[in-house]
Amino acid sequence: MNLDALTRTSGEWLRGTGPESDIVICSRIRLARNLADFPFTNRASDTEKTEIERICRATMDKAGLELDYQSVVNLDTLDRQLLVERQLISRELSTGEGPRGVAIGPRENVSVMVNEEDHLRIQVMNSGFSLADVWEQINILDDQIEEYLHYAFNPQLGYLTACPTNVGTGIRVGVMLHLPALANTKQIEKVFRALHKLNLAVRGLYGEGTQADGDFYQISNQQTLGKSERELIRNLSEVVPQIINYERQARQEWIGQRRQHLHDQVSRAYGVLKTAHTISSSETMHLLSSVRMGVNLGLIDDLEIRTVNELFIHTQPAHLQKIQGEPLEVDERNIARAGYIRRRLASDNQAAEERD
Amino acid sequence: MTCQRCSREASVHLSETVDGQRRELHLCGPCARKAGLTPPDPPPNAALEAIVDHLIVQHVGELVGELAKTSCPLCGLKFMDFRTGGRLGCPNDYEAFATGLLPLLRTAHGASRHVGKIPRKRTPPSRSPRLRLRARLREAIAREDYELAATIRDQLRQEDADQ
Repeated sequence: MNLDALTRTSGEWLRGTGPESDIVICSRIRLARNLADFPFTNRASDTEKTEIERICRATMDKAGLELDYQSVVNLDTLDRQLLVERQLISRELSTGEGPRGVAIGPRENVSVMVNEEDHLRIQVMNSGFSLADVWEQINILDDQIEEYLHYAFNPQLGYLTACPTNVGTGIRVGVMLHLPALANTKQIEKVFRALHKLNLAVRGLYGEGTQADGDFYQISNQQTLGKSERELIRNLSEVVPQIINYERQARQEWIGQRRQHLHDQVSRAYGVLKTAHTISSSETMHLLSSVRMGVNLGLIDDLEIRTVNELFIHTQPAHLQKIQGEPLEVDERNIARAGYIRRRLASDNQAAEERD
Repeated sequence: MTCQRCSREASVHLSETVDGQRRELHLCGPCARKAGLTPPDPPPNAALEAIVDHLIVQHVGELVGELAKTSCPLCGLKFMDFRTGGRLGCPNDYEAFATGLLPLLRTAHGASRHVGKIPRKRTPPSRSPRLRLRARLREAIAREDYELAATIRDQLRQEDADQ
């Protein structure tokens, strides 16, 4: 895979289609798996990690998986950052040590990290609210890999993982939600408290410890032991529609009570993005969030939701530098970001005009 | 300075202001105790072992001593290393540290038994011959017994080739 090409395309999960895609950006499941015959990554020597990497790569080949393997060791900092921004690898894999890498599917909805915290972190990600489909895909993928490997498994405790918080099913089921109206009315705090009681975790766009920039929230299970994969998926599948309803209600109340104000806020956000000549990452996320909601509420009619989804990712630092083809300082990035957004919005507007 | 009640060396010194008048009191230990002013305790016995045991009890709670010193025969990780680092060293740790891990799992997951997917191939980690061989290989390298290390490495390679 040519990583430079990633900046001209976008992952399948960003296409903005699928059930409830006005609010649910994507559904994602990852499985943590380890080889039975090796110490966990943190305790493995470089020789052992090389061996683990070799076995995992050979397995994916034997299983006939159409995945493209990238050794992270061979990538420069910018390319590693690009894969993090793209949600294809974790920060931990990017900054880790020793032999490690990632196998990526052609549509970017599959990624298999090797020698992360666990030997294998299998991930499948789809656009919209589609956890059942994602589970079906990842379950098959897991079976295909297991065909040629010996997973570390114990009948009482299930799949054994380096951190006991993942033991059992090794599953993390997550959905990424766009909740601007709940965030605006501060009702989001109530949602968090309720989720916490249900043993669900809430994080920002780029995982643990990151701020919920752009009003994106990832909700995922914390329990992995004592409930089956299907039960854990069902738990989340039952909670998410309620949050979607709350968000829809909050949007309707907003538009019902203060339509002109909301329309003004959305239009101003769109106006700034179309005309700015320098803009920070955080302002971009904030304004794009308003614009995204505006498109979904029909307040903006000349912009595709896919373009907005892509802009959230393509305006991140590593993407911008890859697009410009050179390393950029913060100030230069702000200028490049504004230019990129202006061009993307102009071409989308033109396409909309031609359709009309 | 001598004690104001006897002739021993004073070890307790107090000063207070009553109705604008400053009063000072200098007493030896026994006289201070008699006066109801307990002198400071002697410094605790700073034996390192005791401090470490104390810390272990503090951190591991009910799991005192033995468990804290337990280590996995296959990867060498000590239970205490896990408590400080939060990561286990190899699949066999779940058996080696079962007593300590099960209560933690019950707290974290509200359960201690797996329900869900089961792989078709299952070998308990403690009986994984290759995990054991790799542990012996690491030991041999640590001891600089390169001859043994080479033999084990060949054995592992042979098994890989046979697979």
